[in-house]
Amino acid sequence: MFERILIANRGEIAVRIIRACKELGIQSIAVYSKADERAMHVQLADEAICIGNNTSAESYLHVPSLIKAAEIFDVEAIHPGYGFLAEDAHFAEICESCRVKFIGPQPEVIRRMGDKAEAIRAAKSAGVPVIPGSDGVVKDKTEALKVVEQIKYPVIIKAAAGGGGRGMRVAHTDVALTSALATAQSEAEAAFGNPDVYIEKYLENPRHVEVQILADTHGTTVHLGERDCSVQRRHQKLVEEAPSPAVTSSMRRAVTKMALKLAQEVGYVNAGTIEFLLDQDGSFYFIEMNTRIQVEHTVTEMIYGVDLVKEQIRVAAGEKLSLDQRSLQPRGHAIECRINAEDPANGFKPTPGTIEFCALPGGPNVRVDAHIYSGYVIPSHYDSLLAKLLVWGHDRTDAIQTMRRALDEFYVTGVATTVPFHKHVMHHPKFIGGAFGNHFAEEVVRDQGWS
Amino acid sequence: MDLEEIKQILQLMDENELAEFELERDGVRIALRKAGAAAPVLAAAVPQSPAPAAPTPAPAAQAAGEKLEEKIAYIKSPMVGTFYVAPSPDSPPFVAVGEQVGKDDVVCILEAMKVMNEIKAELEGLIVEVLAENGEPVEYGQPLFRVEIA
Repeated sequence: MFERILIANRGEIAVRIIRACKELGIQSIAVYSKADERAMHVQLADEAICIGNNTSAESYLHVPSLIKAAEIFDVEAIHPGYGFLAEDAHFAEICESCRVKFIGPQPEVIRRMGDKAEAIRAAKSAGVPVIPGSDGVVKDKTEALKVVEQIKYPVIIKAAAGGGGRGMRVAHTDVALTSALATAQSEAEAAFGNPDVYIEKYLENPRHVEVQILADTHGTTVHLGERDCSVQRRHQKLVEEAPSPAVTSSMRRAVTKMALKLAQEVGYVNAGTIEFLLDQDGSFYFIEMNTRIQVEHTVTEMIYGVDLVKEQIRVAAGEKLSLDQRSLQPRGHAIECRINAEDPANGFKPTPGTIEFCALPGGPNVRVDAHIYSGYVIPSHYDSLLAKLLVWGHDRTDAIQTMRRALDEFYVTGVATTVPFHKHVMHHPKFIGGAFGNHFAEEVVRDQGWS
Repeated sequence: MDLEEIKQILQLMDENELAEFELERDGVRIALRKAGAAAPVLAAAVPQSPAPAAPTPAPAAQAAGEKLEEKIAYIKSPMVGTFYVAPSPDSPPFVAVGEQVGKDDVVCILEAMKVMNEIKAELEGLIVEVLAENGEPVEYGQPLFRVEIA
């Protein structure tokens, strides 16, 4: 087992990793930027070193400084957390060459699954369904109609060279297809200098369902069920839960089987998440794989009683997984609300500043993963996640009740937070009923008359 | 008393964790007091200011009142690295105590990932003290040299 681990991250996940280290008897080394001098992770770690100025580029993304810090403290492993360099194959390689274990999968796997097109090829190889589409650039109406014949309406036309909603058009009919194609092509040309477009099946109001997997270096791969992350705004997740209210036992069997097949296909090691879109007809389509621990790993932990970060460390240290699929029996229902320093009434504008006062929820079945405290100055240079508020319940209704109670106890003055948004969600009939898709969060925003 | 001097006093206060400072000189009296010294209600929940475990000894704390006739500045580390006073083990150090340095003079080397970075003074003055130990790791922002500004 490792004696010293350097945490190449900050905020709540750095605190999370430090906690796992402490419980495993491992020395934790924190790195921090100038702006993070008073951050909680710096205070909790056994050792801490300032590695650079405020910007991420000068600090948490600055590889030479991270490697130097690792060398100074003679660490055996680095945990990259999520974001920053967690999915940077090059960084993983450098760690390897400096004989510091990168806690995560192998660099080649990170690289392969980080390439969206390559990941989709891997999924196809593994027999995992992907969103049906044109399989390449579509030049004109004739080609487009051929594709539509295969995949059926509705379809979405997407720019090959970019994203962000530009060069994207949905079409429901042949007539609409012609103009949609022309518009998408000219928009793509204008935005990316490349008019190439491709066509995909358009899923109306899909759900985002992802499967957690864990694999050791001794040939064991297990899944820990699915999570539903459909409450998102502009592709940013806000509420996550496990299990998914939309997934039946047979659907679960199917999607977890797909996830395991893909993990095995690429020889995956350590923790990972395979993301799917769930169509209204019950079909799952692979979209991408995240080769790291995720923000919402916590809801899985709560229903399985497993510490995923500790398991990551154990796997990296070469230990055999103590879990086997049969023994992994989930219990109850868990929900997580991401409390961000953002103003939901104002386009979720980030609100850095000073937390004058905060009092965090507690009591039975409530878990808070946070890095904030009264008087804490939220820096403006990084993400806006303040805390993850989690609840467990015997069933989904029970969990929602507890979350309402916990949200009422979540008290912060000095900055705006997303607590009001979450309160609305927890009282919304659609959320309570369990039937909602990716567009639900926008609906809540509109209902409130927020901009 | 000019702004530069006040800035240096503030820097000294920070480095020595002083909350208050008063000075009277040449018929001018200046008092500097840090705001927010009182802890909020939930004092138990507020962690103490972190003292990050620096790999090298903390710079010798200088009593604020003492050397105020000289204007003191610090050359601080612009990166995390191993501090070397000389270009190689057999060479003489880049600078010595008592030596005058200019903005572009190399004062030390900071090594990280086998790259030897030559660090320039970025200020003009007299080296009064070398604050880091040769061959020891230093963190970003750590004071390396105490300099007396002309």
